[in-house]
Amino acid sequence: MGASPSSVGSFLVASFAAVAGSLGAASPSYAASALEIAQTLCAACHGPDGNSTDPANPKIAGLDAAYISRQLQLFASGTRRSDIMAPIASSLATSDVRELAEHFAKSKPARGKVADPQLASAGRVIFRDGDTDSGAPSCEGCHLPNGVGNSRFPRLAGQHQAYVERQMLDFKNGVRTTNRLMNTVGQRLSVSEIKAVAEYIAGLPEGEPD
Amino acid sequence: MKIWIAILVLIATGAAVPAEPDPRIAVWSKLLPERAEVLKLKGDAARGESVFAICQGCHRVGALGRPDGSYPRLAGQHASVLIKQMTDVRAGLRSNPKMLPFADEHELTPQDIADVAVYLQALPVPPSQSHGPGDDLDRAAVLYEHDCATCHGAQGMGDAAKLYPRLSGQHFRYLLRAGRMIRDGQRHNAHPEMVDAIAHYTDEELSAVADLISRMGLADAKK
Repeated sequence: MGASPSSVGSFLVASFAAVAGSLGAASPSYAASALEIAQTLCAACHGPDGNSTDPANPKIAGLDAAYISRQLQLFASGTRRSDIMAPIASSLATSDVRELAEHFAKSKPARGKVADPQLASAGRVIFRDGDTDSGAPSCEGCHLPNGVGNSRFPRLAGQHQAYVERQMLDFKNGVRTTNRLMNTVGQRLSVSEIKAVAEYIAGLPEGEPD
Repeated sequence: MKIWIAILVLIATGAAVPAEPDPRIAVWSKLLPERAEVLKLKGDAARGESVFAICQGCHRVGALGRPDGSYPRLAGQHASVLIKQMTDVRAGLRSNPKMLPFADEHELTPQDIADVAVYLQALPVPPSQSHGPGDDLDRAAVLYEHDCATCHGAQGMGDAAKLYPRLSGQHFRYLLRAGRMIRDGQRHNAHPEMVDAIAHYTDEELSAVADLISRMGLADAKK
């Protein structure tokens, strides 16, 4: 997500060169083009395989393809606000969005790191049971046990704690407005519950060998 | 004038007057536009399972609810009852602020309601619901027979056509909580005869009857 306008520009130059180069090749394909975009445009922030190492930037490896496509469209339209992602997503052709989404969906998500097991243990209760006093549902109801997600509800498992915490706070405070239901969930969780559940999510799936 | 006096005397003395239907019941069972719309649709249980995804964070996998009574079991409930309650919540007739954001027009279409209702109705009802202390069941049986059985049935199966909910298989603590809310006028869409029937109940009596209901046999337990 740290791509500057100049790096976007250099990507455009690079990809133009790649396309120009491929014109002479036997069979240019979207797959090659998407891979090129992934390496030049996405990798700096999200990692070459979609497993970012900077906790501020989300891992996108293993997310559902339809979910990735939808988020790129939301960034492009400005519905999901991001000064970094908006120009990048806007620069992508529809076919690129689809190919990129499929590329990262196929990538194996890396394990996350739990820094504070005690906090994660408190978060486990939220993830599994929700908060019945406030009416916050469990996370697993939609995102599935172990947080692996599906085509409707994104994968959470192994995501960086800092990123999940930021998104949940953005839902809570109405900064992220792409999902009313998640705004409600955010409002019904306290700041400390959000911190804890994000810590637990980083360690999901439970019990899977490294 | 003489007739009016005669009627007043009859009422005052408790003598039989021609029974007028309770106008409150017509209000209770009024076919709201959205319920009418849902009832015209054919529910699809397979689609309903997918709809239920956003419900199960609270109502749990299999719609089995929570023993602590925070969320009821929905499995095995009559589709007609589920449709009435959901459309009442959406219309603001039943006060349920916790549920509303997950069931309002932004989340569920009328078709979704039809689908999830038939899905829930067909779910198995295992005998895993929680019970009360079991120390006042004899008195509860008398109360149930007197005040509850006519509508909810001897085995707590309710009446789908009349929109009376099934009670058997429900968690004790939910039955108790719902009973209190209905008695205390906090539910807003309770059947007026139900409110009348338990208006005089003490907390102990509500608890005893909830306990009894939670122990009713489940004919469909092995379904």
